[in-house]
Amino acid sequence: MTAPLLETHDLVKDYVIGGEVLHAVNGVSLTIKRGEFVAIMGASGSGKSTFMNMIGCLDVPTSGTLLLDGIDTKTLDSDALAEIRNRKIGFVFQQFNLLARTSALDNVAVPLIYAGLGYTERRERAQAKLEAMGLGNRLQNTPAKLSGGQQQRVAIARALVTDPLMLLADEPTGALDTQTSLDIMGIFQKLNDEGITLIVVTHEPDIAEYAERRIVFRDGRVIEDAAVKSRRRAVAG
Amino acid sequence: MSKLLNSIAGWGVNIAIAMTALRTNLMRSILTTLGVMIGVFSVILAVAVGNGAQVSVTQQIATLGSNMAIVVPQPDSGSGPPRSTDRGRLTERDGRAILRQVSGVSAVAPQIRSSVQLVTPGRSATTQATGATPEYGIVSNVTASEGRFLTDGDVGAAARVVVIGQTVADKLFADANPVGETVRINRVPFKVIGLLESKGSNLGNDNDDQIVVPITTLRQRLQTTAMQGPDDVTLLFVGFEDEDSLLAGQQDIKRMLRDRYRVPKGRISPFTVRTTTEIAETTGQVTQIFQAVLVAIASISLLVGGIGIMNIMLVSVTERTREIGLRMALGAKRSDIRNQFLVEAAVLCVIGGAIGLTLAILAAAIFQQVADFPAPVGLDTALMSVAFSAVIGILFGGYPAIRASRLSPIEALRSE
Repeated sequence: MTAPLLETHDLVKDYVIGGEVLHAVNGVSLTIKRGEFVAIMGASGSGKSTFMNMIGCLDVPTSGTLLLDGIDTKTLDSDALAEIRNRKIGFVFQQFNLLARTSALDNVAVPLIYAGLGYTERRERAQAKLEAMGLGNRLQNTPAKLSGGQQQRVAIARALVTDPLMLLADEPTGALDTQTSLDIMGIFQKLNDEGITLIVVTHEPDIAEYAERRIVFRDGRVIEDAAVKSRRRAVAG
Repeated sequence: MSKLLNSIAGWGVNIAIAMTALRTNLMRSILTTLGVMIGVFSVILAVAVGNGAQVSVTQQIATLGSNMAIVVPQPDSGSGPPRSTDRGRLTERDGRAILRQVSGVSAVAPQIRSSVQLVTPGRSATTQATGATPEYGIVSNVTASEGRFLTDGDVGAAARVVVIGQTVADKLFADANPVGETVRINRVPFKVIGLLESKGSNLGNDNDDQIVVPITTLRQRLQTTAMQGPDDVTLLFVGFEDEDSLLAGQQDIKRMLRDRYRVPKGRISPFTVRTTTEIAETTGQVTQIFQAVLVAIASISLLVGGIGIMNIMLVSVTERTREIGLRMALGAKRSDIRNQFLVEAAVLCVIGGAIGLTLAILAAAIFQQVADFPAPVGLDTALMSVAFSAVIGILFGGYPAIRASRLSPIEALRSE
């Protein structure tokens, strides 16, 4: 029996604002298994983004335990956390966060620099991931010369390039139109079918219906955690 | 081994990232580089000019002749300017006494100096005439490159003969051979018997702008300032056999002159006896101070350049906070971020340093041509400037780089 991908016990994140303590995440315990497709929902200020940042090892919990791939993240220093982000987690952001004036190929290759790979291998792997995203003819394009959907696909290629265990997507369709959003969710479902764990933060109920499990946050706590009934399927485009 | 290769490759990547970032803000990068460039340029040029001054002084001392003492009838004013009001007397007899009584003395060259005007048909020149004896040639290493130098016969007969320097020859005879020609000095006709071997110029002082005539002739025909006695001289050059006898002889001469002129104990002697070694040391110290001041002033511009680098790097870190956050999210360690910005600062400095060095070498060469002043840029100076730029880069790029690496990934990502 391998450990679950993600396990949290009584996870808490406090912020001190103007002398008052704000419990952004206030005791969350849950488990996400390998291969799950989870949607995390909630209004802004519900704590869903803070939770996401903690499981992405971008932020450190105030208290509680976070086990990632069986490792207690409390024991890790900033270098070890950087390595986990590099090897085990792929991030997809609402605003794509591609490096401007940098080709799609070079953007996708960035995580491989920090993985310590040589130039040739970086290029080959980045090219393979871009081709898998249907962008084989856009390798040298800079973000300014790509549509929103294409930019998000470059970002997904970048998230996948180190073959991580899970993809964390924060409002991945927030800046896209309906059809493009559908395409992106199709890509996510296809990736999930291939075995990767997906955690998508969204405030759009439609988008959440493409996942198989829905977790709803309010005031820093989980108020609902259930399988999605009548799950939608999108055709990857 | 592969770890080493990886780390080299890692720096290569950092250089590539730095070049991209610098190209993105090309104008800003150029202006920042300019600061370092000017700094390195001025430091190198200051060092070169200082070195040149030292070389020049060494040459100047060498033209005086080595193992020589100069006796002037003026109280020793230390390194300050001589006070002409205190001028005492010094005679050829004193010179002969020195030769007889001080051990280790090889020759004494009495001299009278006077400013004169020379005229040839259609041309004229003003220069300094030295009334001398053949010993002058021996003691201060002066020879004739064409014709001949003075002889005892010339001095004995107070012959109207002159040996002229190259600069004077150029002024009076242009390209023609002056030997055998006649020149009027203060309206008295003289025959040119020789051309002084060129000693070049140092620190703007032309060693070839002078003439030498027999001391007797100068006294009889050319002297414009009245001396107190028929035997008086302006100064004496005393040549010694070696350096040891020079050091001992300097004290002997001082003591002897006090005795001869009965200077009471406790009174300052009206004579200064200075050796070429002392002159070299004093002037060497002066030029060293001169160089230190130059380099110090130039270093300020390098410091300002460094502050410029720090300023721009801080701006760059602030502007690219989001990029730093993204890179951290994608797996960059703090050291990766730190190195990225360090390399960026170093690239700015190295480019600035290289351009500054090139310009300094060019400027030194031009300076050498135009001002006829040596300003050598040595390999050590070049290496020093490269090290200087690197240190500036690490010093002033270090703080912004460390600040960038300390950012929290999530706060960096959230920044707009």
